[in-house]
Amino acid sequence: MKLSLDFGVVFPVLVAGRLLVALTNISDALKHDHQLSTPLTSYLNLQEGIYLFKNGIDPYSGGVFRHSPLFLALFTTVLPTSRTVSSIVWTLSDAIGAWALVQIWRARQRVAQTSRDGLIAAIYLLNPYIFMSTLSLSTSPFENTLALVSFMFATQGLVSPSLLAAALLLQLSLSSILLLAPLIMLLASSPVSQLASPRAFSGNGKKMAPLVAEFAAYTAVLTLASALVSGGWAWVPQTWGASLTLPDLTPNCGLWWYFFTEMFDYFRPFFLMVFSIHLLIYIVPVCIKFQYDPLYAGFILLGILSSFKSYPTMADQGLFLSMIALFPETYPYLRYPIVTTLLHLHAALLMPLFHHLWLNQGTANANFFYASTLVYACANGAALTDCLWAGLRIAIGEPQEGFVVAQE
Amino acid sequence: MRKLRFLWALCLLPACLSHSFSGETFTEELFIRGLPDGKVASRFEFSTHSHGATPRNPQNLSVEDHSQHYTLFPLALGQILREYAVTELHLTLNAGKWNYDRWGYPDEPDVAAGAALWAWMAEGSAGANPRHSVDARWRDLRNALAGLFCASIASLDEQRTTSPARAFTPFGALPAWPQSGPHAFRHASLPSENVCTENLTPFLKLLPCKSRSGLAHLLNPHRLFDADWHGMGLHVSWRPEDGVQVRLTFQSVFDPLRSGTSRDWSFSSLFDRTVDQACPVAASSLVLVTLPVREPYSIQPEPASNANNRGVFPITEQTVPLDISIHWLNPFQHATIAAQAPLSVRRMLRGAAQSHGTLAVSITNPGSAAVRVVYLETLPWIVHLYLHTLELSVDGIPRADLLEDISYIAPVPHERASTLEAILAIPANSTVSLRVGVGRAFLRYTEHPPDAQRGWELPGAVVVLLDSENKPQKPVGRWVSTNKEAAQRKQAQVLAQAQPRRIYTPALLVDPATPDFSMPYNVIIFTCSLVAFIFGSVFNGLTRRFVVLRASPE
Repeated sequence: MKLSLDFGVVFPVLVAGRLLVALTNISDALKHDHQLSTPLTSYLNLQEGIYLFKNGIDPYSGGVFRHSPLFLALFTTVLPTSRTVSSIVWTLSDAIGAWALVQIWRARQRVAQTSRDGLIAAIYLLNPYIFMSTLSLSTSPFENTLALVSFMFATQGLVSPSLLAAALLLQLSLSSILLLAPLIMLLASSPVSQLASPRAFSGNGKKMAPLVAEFAAYTAVLTLASALVSGGWAWVPQTWGASLTLPDLTPNCGLWWYFFTEMFDYFRPFFLMVFSIHLLIYIVPVCIKFQYDPLYAGFILLGILSSFKSYPTMADQGLFLSMIALFPETYPYLRYPIVTTLLHLHAALLMPLFHHLWLNQGTANANFFYASTLVYACANGAALTDCLWAGLRIAIGEPQEGFVVAQE
Repeated sequence: MRKLRFLWALCLLPACLSHSFSGETFTEELFIRGLPDGKVASRFEFSTHSHGATPRNPQNLSVEDHSQHYTLFPLALGQILREYAVTELHLTLNAGKWNYDRWGYPDEPDVAAGAALWAWMAEGSAGANPRHSVDARWRDLRNALAGLFCASIASLDEQRTTSPARAFTPFGALPAWPQSGPHAFRHASLPSENVCTENLTPFLKLLPCKSRSGLAHLLNPHRLFDADWHGMGLHVSWRPEDGVQVRLTFQSVFDPLRSGTSRDWSFSSLFDRTVDQACPVAASSLVLVTLPVREPYSIQPEPASNANNRGVFPITEQTVPLDISIHWLNPFQHATIAAQAPLSVRRMLRGAAQSHGTLAVSITNPGSAAVRVVYLETLPWIVHLYLHTLELSVDGIPRADLLEDISYIAPVPHERASTLEAILAIPANSTVSLRVGVGRAFLRYTEHPPDAQRGWELPGAVVVLLDSENKPQKPVGRWVSTNKEAAQRKQAQVLAQAQPRRIYTPALLVDPATPDFSMPYNVIIFTCSLVAFIFGSVFNGLTRRFVVLRASPE
């Protein structure tokens, strides 16, 4: 058992195996899949934008290309866009993500190596939500990797690389601003698990203001760089603005698309505002409650983000589910892990099926797929509330005979 | 004395009527030709010239316009043209698919399915009044024409408006006003527009003789809208030497073989009417019939003259009532027809999925010389092209070199259509196939048309032939007149205008995925309930304290 989970063996084998699968033609079948890539992360749209950019047409003048200008800069100068190279790059990105996850785990345990390392890498690399998204060449695995790298540097106490990764992540996805607060708290305190012993925030509060300033500086520089790359500010409404105004109603696994397809025109701006602000509401309570363990706060916020953001992919939820591996101390306190698993299984099977029946087969209608995304949202909500409960319940400890634990 | 003067005036009236009024002339012509497959194409052309008139300079829109006194020129149209300072205007309302392969190139070149409107307008004084900008006047022009023609032209909104640079060239001249900028071009088309009697009635009202006399009397809606193909057009243009010209055209393709085996036709069989009266204000009123070359036939009555193998029948008080009829002596033999047009274009939307597909176009050049064409695709934003997947091939062999130039305006969801203009080289005796991936948008439930399941019609592509010197090819044999002087004048015009030869493909039907129209409330309730439930559970966990209670024995 111990041998099979040795990180030094498992990690290269898994990466090699994923490379082999990535180099098959499977991505052609998955690149149109709406659960795995949204208009903001789709590989087709990325290629279209790069083609337009190379041919001297501003890709942000239209409404198809919604990726960050940083992707344009990356793919027009450094990397070619051939499919083989892309498959390798995407898989390597996942490998970095898995490696970062293992580093976070090691930093949290304050050890150089544990027997769980291989298992954690496997949980990330073999997570079907992440695996399939990478195969479809959606850019959301890059967002996952940047989030993990940012947390990894934060747990290692490397301030600047962590904030730079977070600023890069913000360029790719505006809603990842949610992760800033736990990240700053993590940089100001320690990553070691404090879930079982809650106490007031131990970090130095005065350190936080310069951290925010540094993050703002990186963001400003990257924003300016994006403007320079794309030759103007048209990219802002096309990339960041799109996640707030939802111009493209292509189905995805989230809750926004059908809601705003069916929304009455005069209520649309109001509900767009409600749905956007709804995401921000969680930051302060979660960070206050888990002030003694900011990594857990970040983990909970990732779960909220993957359920409620405007253009989610399955990879977002995959990141949340894989991160559960970092917190084995909470497992005894999970109330309904089997229900959550079954809900996820149910949604993961129904969504592609109903999507195919609606759009390809023509024998179902939009409600079928919408219903399966509701099940998926239920699964996300169940995982989220259960992790939240377990993270809080652990502080009380093992149940004693003759006593019950309740909420006031 | 007064009575005598009145009588004098009455006597002078016919003399006045037969000549031009205050620099306006009206001419009408009817062209009829047999098509290779036994059908009969007819084209009415009513043109009114306002000599010496000029289009309105949009710089003067804030100044009150001079009063408009017209005698033959349609007032309703004149008011619209001057109110919105339109220099050149074209509107076509067509129904059916023009079969280039069997019928050849149409006499009236614009045969796009449904409604199409395009105009050239100069930019108004910048900043003075936002209503004087080109886009505001274009919007107002659409609304005014929608009212005038009882057509859905008003729905040719910004989402359908494009400004292709190469495929369309002005028919007349565009005045160079010193303060105004260059003329802007706006084009919009609505392929799903149904053309019917309610559009013909306002069309006839623009004619000086309405449908009471002259050739317009033949425009019998019961027969015209029963034809295999029919289309009406309004073309306003200006030339410095000629003034403003309004050309109203009605083109149709009848099938005498539909109810029998004989190709014989007459006015009464085609239109169920005859020309009973000449239009008194028409300066010239002619019927031109293309006479068969190889087959024996008889024609009644005999044409007054014969020019370029066309029988000419002037309509005067002496020749009415006129009922031209042609009788073929041999029965019609159905045979395979060689391609009649210089190019044959097919366009298809492939793919079963409602989220993406492939646009496949094949352009066949049966000729022995390579040609160059402009390929214009204007798509509403519900379909967007993945230009990086564009492939050109001849017999399955990729030929990227055939694409000489490409210009593309990407679509903006809910706002702007896309425009793709490509210059392609079509080698001799070969078929070039163009394939490009398309993505289909998902619409808000209010953006679907009332019959959403029927789908949307995409405007046809336009293929424009370029001659070797990169100029659009001019049409052949469009202006034929017996009047030698007029013929020479028109020949000069042909050289001056150099209109491109456009080939329109039929519209395509695309069915975007539809939401359930009956459940906006349900979706709002379901989604909000779920969000509220998760929100409540999370805040329940976050805000309430954990306590340990002693389990009571009971």
